[in-house]
Amino acid sequence: MMKKGLAGVLIMGSVMAALTGCTKKGTDSSSAHYANTSETKSSKSSETGTFTVGFDQDFPPMGFMGDDGEFTGFDLELAAETAKRMGLTIKYQPIAWDSKDMELKSGTIDCIWNGFTMNGREEGYAWSEPYMENDQVFVVREDSGISKISDLSGKSVEVQADSSAEAALKDKPEITSSFLSYQAVPDYLTAMMDLESGATDAIAMDNVVASYQIKAAKKDFVILDDPITAEEYAVGFAKDNTKLRDEVQKTLDEIAADGTAKKISEKWFDKDITTIGKGQGEN
Amino acid sequence: MNIDIGVLLSKLGSGMLTSFWIFCITLLLSIPLGLLITFGRMAHNAILRTITKIYISIMRGTPLMLQLMLVYFGPFYIFHVNISSTYRYTAVCIGFVLNYAAYFAEIYRSGIESMPIGQYEAAKVLGYSKAQTFFYIILPQVVKRILPTITNEVITLIKDTSLAFVIGVTEMFTNAKALASGMSSVMPYLGAGVFYYVFNFVVAFVMEKFEKKLSYYR
Amino acid sequence: MKYLEMKHVKKQFDGLEVLKDISLSVEEGEVTAIIGPSGSGKSTLLRCATMLEEMDDGELYYLGEQAAKSENGRAVYQKPAVLKKMRQYYGLVFQNFNLFPHYSVLKNIIDAPIHVQRRKKDEVGEQAMKLLDQMGLSDKADAYPYQLSGGQQQRVSIARALAMNPKILFFDEPTSALDPELTGEILKVIQELAAMHMTMVIVTHEMEFARKVANHIIFMENGIILEEGTPDEVFSSQNARILSFLGKFKRD
Repeated sequence: MMKKGLAGVLIMGSVMAALTGCTKKGTDSSSAHYANTSETKSSKSSETGTFTVGFDQDFPPMGFMGDDGEFTGFDLELAAETAKRMGLTIKYQPIAWDSKDMELKSGTIDCIWNGFTMNGREEGYAWSEPYMENDQVFVVREDSGISKISDLSGKSVEVQADSSAEAALKDKPEITSSFLSYQAVPDYLTAMMDLESGATDAIAMDNVVASYQIKAAKKDFVILDDPITAEEYAVGFAKDNTKLRDEVQKTLDEIAADGTAKKISEKWFDKDITTIGKGQGEN
Repeated sequence: MNIDIGVLLSKLGSGMLTSFWIFCITLLLSIPLGLLITFGRMAHNAILRTITKIYISIMRGTPLMLQLMLVYFGPFYIFHVNISSTYRYTAVCIGFVLNYAAYFAEIYRSGIESMPIGQYEAAKVLGYSKAQTFFYIILPQVVKRILPTITNEVITLIKDTSLAFVIGVTEMFTNAKALASGMSSVMPYLGAGVFYYVFNFVVAFVMEKFEKKLSYYR
Repeated sequence: MKYLEMKHVKKQFDGLEVLKDISLSVEEGEVTAIIGPSGSGKSTLLRCATMLEEMDDGELYYLGEQAAKSENGRAVYQKPAVLKKMRQYYGLVFQNFNLFPHYSVLKNIIDAPIHVQRRKKDEVGEQAMKLLDQMGLSDKADAYPYQLSGGQQQRVSIARALAMNPKILFFDEPTSALDPELTGEILKVIQELAAMHMTMVIVTHEMEFARKVANHIIFMENGIILEEGTPDEVFSSQNARILSFLGKFKRD
């Protein structure tokens, strides 16, 4: 049997070697190309020719799968425009939101561009200038009779795990302690299904996303007037990838200057809600 | 929102291809690898035996999801080796194969150990070598014994492929989720359920054929 | 020539001495029956004779060739390659048949000759059919063991051993697992083999059979040979232990 053990190790070795030759398979639904990938940690995208955007694909309207099965969304469109102007090929890489930091740090994605809230995360990333304002709000059913935050006392509330809503509420124990139950769920769809079905009474989430859902999906939801916090979206890069960040920033400024940003915004939100080049928003 | 069945089917279908590809590679590699691990587990050499035991224990004792993340991010975080985005496809193969090989190894071992010693003794007296005894006499009988348990693992594998998304490999369930959020509907989940069920049905059918083929003796 | 020789065999299991110093030899063409109460060590002796167990101490010879020698109170065996060659000299029929359930009757018989002795399929096939014929099982060539009765399986088992052309055929309680009605078939086969001058060593508890077929009886108890000789000699022994053991059988 020992000889078999040795033979086994040898075969295992060659199998592993064969596997590393096993390159990408499967289908990413972007209309983009895949470039040769020898990216290093501080992604020299200009060397490899791609700009890889990591995003949570369950996050309309910023980044999601459209009715035609292709990835789309405000952020993804803005990112595509940016890549085009930088002479890079855009690559959309859906990631598990919980792993976003590891994906970014290890260089498998160049940035996180996904309704990514800057506030509270300033130290963790190299940020672009904020490009949009957003609030964290509570969303409730139209017929729930809840109209202000104090009405949430004794109700069940959900929030997406690892989201900025969760982070914002962490600083407000006076609110969360009044809830009947307070639960983190993996994605917004789950939370909204719970809200619709009555399994929960309220969701704490991004205003931008909630408004889109209410408008586009015609949900009978209402956003409470009192926001939890105000915040800003920006593009997040690995902390030492300031070179790429600066290039992207420059391009974003151009996009804003010639009115393209406004056009994209109006397409998604019926108005220009971008804040690029319009001075600092609220921190 | 209009739910285009065509888009639904095509996205789920392409996701299914990825799931199927993970499924095939995993089976193709972990079934033989499992046998090698069993040899190690049953070796005379105590060191080899212990190492194998530890390997099996870790693979079965930690979540597959965690192992996938370890294989994918490990090179960078532990060894400071750069990884590329397409490494995720290799990582998913490695993670699944290593994990399932451990499970198969234990199934094989239980089959082998349940073999009556009389079979070994008869073979020995007739003069079969150890290798001949194993491949002609023991292994064919073991296969028949373990087939139902193998079927269980195969069916579990089909469903485990949905874990691939933890390292960003978009397989069918991921696509279903994305479509569901994009369309704000649960239809894609139903579609996914149907796809999984059909896949499982085909697998169960094939396994049953195997079992029938081996039922020529008792 | 002595086909089998065992000298001063000692064997213990977990501190219990099972074989205390056994010596025996078997001449060509002889039929030896080993009898005695259970726990006497007769099965262990047979397993040592067929190298399914290794002796602690003693010497072992097949057809005059040494398989194991005694050195400093330990038995030292030949290299595996040499032992493998010697295994060809004998065959063993087990109490529980140990047929290969996934092989047909025919395949059970021809597989080892083909893969171990590297003989041609046609030649082996012919011999196999002859053997099945002798056993009265020619119509069962394509059947599988589970479809046969115990007696039939044991006959296939004997054919399987014979197909290897052994010089000595060992039997380990060949009828113990069979219903009484079926033991007759086996005993008949063994008698026929004896008539053909097959050298055999049979561990059995069938006293009448031992008396009829064997020309050499060995009576064992507690790891030693109490008495050995011709059936007449042993069966009319005055030894108290033997008398009492045989007495139980005379009553049947």
